[in-house]
Amino acid sequence: MDLFMQTLVNGLLQSGLYALVASGLALAVGVVGIVNFAHGEYLMIGAFLAWAGSAFLGVDPLLSLPVIAVAVFAIGALTYRVSIRHVLLAPELNQMLLTFGLGILLQNLALMLLGGNTRTVSTPYQASSLQLGDLSVGGPKALAFGLAALLLAALYGVLYRTTLGRQMRAVAQNRRGAQLIGINVDRVYLIAFGVSCALAAVAGVLVSVLLFASPTVGLVFALKAFAIIVMAGLGNLTGVLWASVLLGVSEALVQTYVPGGGGWSDAVFFLMIFGTLVLRSFRGAR
Amino acid sequence: MKTLLMTGILLALSGASAVKVGVLLPLSGAGSVSGQAARSGYQLALDEINKAGGVLGKPLELEFADDGSAPAKAVPEFVKLVTVEKVDFMAGGVSSATSIAISGPAKQYGTFMAWIGAAAVPVEDAFADHPYFFHYHPWSYYNFEAILGYFKYLKTYKKAKNIAIAYEDGPFGSAGIDATVDAFRKAGFNVVMTEKFKTGSGNFGPLVSKAKAAKPDILYWVGYDTDALPLATEIKQQNLQLGLLYGTPPSWPVGFEKNKLADNVAGLSLWLSTSPNKDSRAFVAAYRKKFGTVTDEYFAPLAYVNLKTLAAAINRAGTTDKAKVAAEMAKTNVSTPFGQLTFSPSLKTKYQGFKAGNWLHFQYLGDARVPVYPIKFAQKSMVYGK
Repeated sequence: MDLFMQTLVNGLLQSGLYALVASGLALAVGVVGIVNFAHGEYLMIGAFLAWAGSAFLGVDPLLSLPVIAVAVFAIGALTYRVSIRHVLLAPELNQMLLTFGLGILLQNLALMLLGGNTRTVSTPYQASSLQLGDLSVGGPKALAFGLAALLLAALYGVLYRTTLGRQMRAVAQNRRGAQLIGINVDRVYLIAFGVSCALAAVAGVLVSVLLFASPTVGLVFALKAFAIIVMAGLGNLTGVLWASVLLGVSEALVQTYVPGGGGWSDAVFFLMIFGTLVLRSFRGAR
Repeated sequence: MKTLLMTGILLALSGASAVKVGVLLPLSGAGSVSGQAARSGYQLALDEINKAGGVLGKPLELEFADDGSAPAKAVPEFVKLVTVEKVDFMAGGVSSATSIAISGPAKQYGTFMAWIGAAAVPVEDAFADHPYFFHYHPWSYYNFEAILGYFKYLKTYKKAKNIAIAYEDGPFGSAGIDATVDAFRKAGFNVVMTEKFKTGSGNFGPLVSKAKAAKPDILYWVGYDTDALPLATEIKQQNLQLGLLYGTPPSWPVGFEKNKLADNVAGLSLWLSTSPNKDSRAFVAAYRKKFGTVTDEYFAPLAYVNLKTLAAAINRAGTTDKAKVAAEMAKTNVSTPFGQLTFSPSLKTKYQGFKAGNWLHFQYLGDARVPVYPIKFAQKSMVYGK
């Protein structure tokens, strides 16, 4: 029973990181209407900035988090201005090719500038945990979960309680209609894409504390984020947290209870995408 | 400076085309720490070789290619080096998965391979019938022989009995895992857990929970540098009480020694920069002079030895003819930072360099890797947690 409870806790904690990454991707898909295959690379930028702050300036990654979020928002906004806005009316395949290429470009830039080495940070709270009897709740992962819940709630609040949020939802529903009633669609897209990248960077900061920074660190999380937004329904922010929990806990259960489960964990999210799509098509047919 | 200038002028006046060696390394991806360490070793050796007159009176040239730690990238890079760059010899190779992938084209083109890495037995199978395959790194069964020796010592003196095994699901971790488990059992250990993981995923929570339930004395993990910190973090977070966390990645994360979580983590290395061996001290001095730092990654001296012995064999052969160079390589008998290097048959290949006796076991103690076994090489007593 202890092992079962610990497995549930492990899955729940892992889902926090997944939710952080997926929430940004969901925003880009839901508002801007673009599937950003470079999303993991913005996470990588966040991880490297956190590492650099720690290694060269001695700044704790969590303290540098707000600065990194703002910096990556600016990078995201610049990316939108320079590239994304030019393909918004292009066929989806072209959009995908652009973001895919952007991901490769950012990854290789990181390789050229920083090399392929794995970089780690050292913080006093890295291995902190709360012991509840035999159960261990890892500190940084619990923080990631809390932060994900908080950011998703804040995002939800912005979308449903502010003028900017209403504009975002209007643009997401009908771009031309929103334009006709005087909403600056380009500005809304720029902000949404920037926030999406900033959310990925926030996840990257936590990844630098929990794991490491490397040019390819974003890939694993970006793949999981795609599974989550498919499960949640494209652009559905409220579904992201539940889909993340479902994925994290399912992975943990497979890893713990299926023989050789560690090798099967990657199959879990493919199965979930497959299952979700089949279920949706079945519902659609009815 | 004068000698360097004269050598340069003589090489230029000779008008000869360079002898080209292709070097395929993981300069990015999971094996990049080893690959970049190896590149530094090659560059240092190249400087020394060309300073001493090059090869066959011509300059030696290296063509580096990045296999990205991925078989799909390794094959076209290898074929490009052999067919487009027309290199005379191939060196490098760290990952087992990429080495298996290029075994087909290597045999197709009859490429001369002076190979520094790739310890998995499937690589040995793949190159068993290749006449020009010189393997420097010990095969995994030699590595395991060294590990078993150390663990037997821990069993006798520290009462270590229960072993949990965590291994990555690629060829590096998975090949021979059944034989590993059998060998531990035959040696009187209880293998209380055998678990796969995805390298680089960083998700060790469930694995550590299972290990905790199994109550091991030693957690033995076979993975890459990316797994070191997440695994150590999770062990600490879940308060898993171990005698020893012992890992065998080809390299360790940059700066890992500075992290408190690295304390007492143990591992295997062919070489450490603190080795008192004369050749090792010379290598460390030359490395420091060129790069301004010291490395503890054994792929740096391994690559250095690799290129120096290849160049010496070409010079002795007096030609770049593969068969003649292979005959001279087979006669190699030189002292190196790792000890004496000669080539003798392994279980399946004809030319195997280093074997089990070359391994050292170290522990991260006080911000450094300190040799702790074999006892005659130990610089400090090991810390055993139980």
